[in-house]
Amino acid sequence: MLKLIQNEWMKLWHKKGTWAMVAMLILVILVPGGIMKYYEEKSSDEGSWQKVEQQAIQNNKAMLAEEDLSEADKAYFKEQISISEYRLANDAPSQKDGSVASFMSFTSSMLTLVTLFTVITAASIVSSEFSTGTIKMLLTRPMSRAKVLTSKLLTTFIFGLFLVAVNVVVSAIVGLVLFGVGSGVELEVVNGQVAEKAVWSDLAYHYLLSGGDFVMSTLFAFLIGSVFRSSSLAIGLTMFLSFTGGMIIMFLSRYDIVKYIWLTHSDLTQYEHGGSSMIADVTMPFSLTVLAIYAILFLIISYTSFMKRDVTA
Amino acid sequence: MTEPIVQLQNLSKTIRGKQLIQQLNIDLYPGQITGFLGPNGAGKTTTIRMMTGLMHPTEGKVIIDGLSLQEHYEEAISKVGVIVENPEMYKFMSGYKNLLHFARMHKNVTKERIQEVVKQVGLENRIHEKVATYSLGMRQRLGLAQALLHRPKFLILDEPTNGLDPAGIREFRMYLRKIAAEDNVSVFVSSHLLSEIELMCDRVAVIQNGKLIDIREIHNDSSSFYYVEAQPKEQVSAHLTQLDYKFEAENQGYVIELKKEDVPALTAGLVQAGMQLFAVQPHQKTLEDQFLEMTGGGQIAEANSK
Repeated sequence: MLKLIQNEWMKLWHKKGTWAMVAMLILVILVPGGIMKYYEEKSSDEGSWQKVEQQAIQNNKAMLAEEDLSEADKAYFKEQISISEYRLANDAPSQKDGSVASFMSFTSSMLTLVTLFTVITAASIVSSEFSTGTIKMLLTRPMSRAKVLTSKLLTTFIFGLFLVAVNVVVSAIVGLVLFGVGSGVELEVVNGQVAEKAVWSDLAYHYLLSGGDFVMSTLFAFLIGSVFRSSSLAIGLTMFLSFTGGMIIMFLSRYDIVKYIWLTHSDLTQYEHGGSSMIADVTMPFSLTVLAIYAILFLIISYTSFMKRDVTA
Repeated sequence: MTEPIVQLQNLSKTIRGKQLIQQLNIDLYPGQITGFLGPNGAGKTTTIRMMTGLMHPTEGKVIIDGLSLQEHYEEAISKVGVIVENPEMYKFMSGYKNLLHFARMHKNVTKERIQEVVKQVGLENRIHEKVATYSLGMRQRLGLAQALLHRPKFLILDEPTNGLDPAGIREFRMYLRKIAAEDNVSVFVSSHLLSEIELMCDRVAVIQNGKLIDIREIHNDSSSFYYVEAQPKEQVSAHLTQLDYKFEAENQGYVIELKKEDVPALTAGLVQAGMQLFAVQPHQKTLEDQFLEMTGGGQIAEANSK
């Protein structure tokens, strides 16, 4: 099995597209980083931070005095005021310039690109063998079809995780070089108490939750790619569903069935910061269960179709 | 006779109600090169795909060295080297990387073995170049190399000389003969090039409409034929009918099924009857004649066109 994965890895890196993906991934981190740095240096100093905080308190108090405020808005302004007061009392300036942490929470949005590239790989790793006819060479070997397909699936995920690693490492390096560790403290209000924000664990949690969409999209593209042997169909369909997924859920939200569609659940970041699903009564464990069932279903269909198929390419 | 290395037992394939292959029974022996002939659409490629595990038979079995291909796939296929139609390689990699790729899928194929095979097929000078830059003939050589890497006991080749130049075809033929003789490899070759099969094979199997219609040794044809040209033709045919010979008209004379020892008697008879004798010569029926005779011309298999 290791040798099969080694083979897939070798084939993957002999394709120019793979290098282009990595290059683009690095570029979308470098370029915005450079632009942000450029604007940061241009912006002038606006006096001491204490003055800024005092101004902020006054503004927020003015807002609170307004009528017709919703409960949520009131709570928000009160939180902001208590954070500013805490800063003044404890001599804890806010994060004014960029820091490696803030840069990395910005670049974590590039995970969408990682998912896209992994989907492209998943869609073509099986279908390209069919379209070039090399599948005949690959399957007339003393390796069962199940092993061949497993090696391709694992290679796709290893490649995906490699791209995530590129994203994390490159943003960390670029962030450190351009912005440094930063000075200042991120604060938030937890249960009425002002506390230091756990920036790093929040970020790690965000990466973890992004895994939901990453895994489901990859498995779906892999399924379509290996069943229909067309990478364009697989990429197209996966992208179409991820763009229109929200609309489909909205449309179906009146019916109970919406709870049992994977699209409702694949974006796990909806549970971040104590959020909840837009569909009532849906919790994170429920979402995870539905996703797991769909993942197994996708895999069963991929494997049966690949193993039963008569190869005529 | 030695044990067959490959046995097809009642092999059948039905796709959407069409019987592409019906009850095929063929035995292949070590050290023997068997040709596989048939008109277009007869089911050659389907049979070969079933023998290599690319297609699953509807009925029947493929047994390789005593193991059923369906039940013990990995073990059975490890004894087989395959070139199905054009050897499609990974064009974006070098020839060497392609071989390395396939070598990793077999047990016990060392780097030395790869070098050895590369040398055997004569690709040493270009092996580290990308396959995309290879000519068709070079790709065929690379295809042969990947099929030989693991020293198979049984080699299946579908249209192997397609795209080779005459020197390449000759070399290829000699090479197949050599591995059949020296390593006792059983070779199964499908081809449209009848003359090629004739030169290369010890035996031919002919299929048509998915059925095996004949399987025979090539070089020891028991019956002999002579071509006799004499005038007037009517008298000759009357004379031959009278003597109870099997014959048929060809060009200006007749092809007669005749033993060598009967030749003097026949010619004497013709001359004594006052006929003008122009030529008497041994007649070699080519494989092409035999093939067309057996398959009844070039009709595409009916079962497929319906």
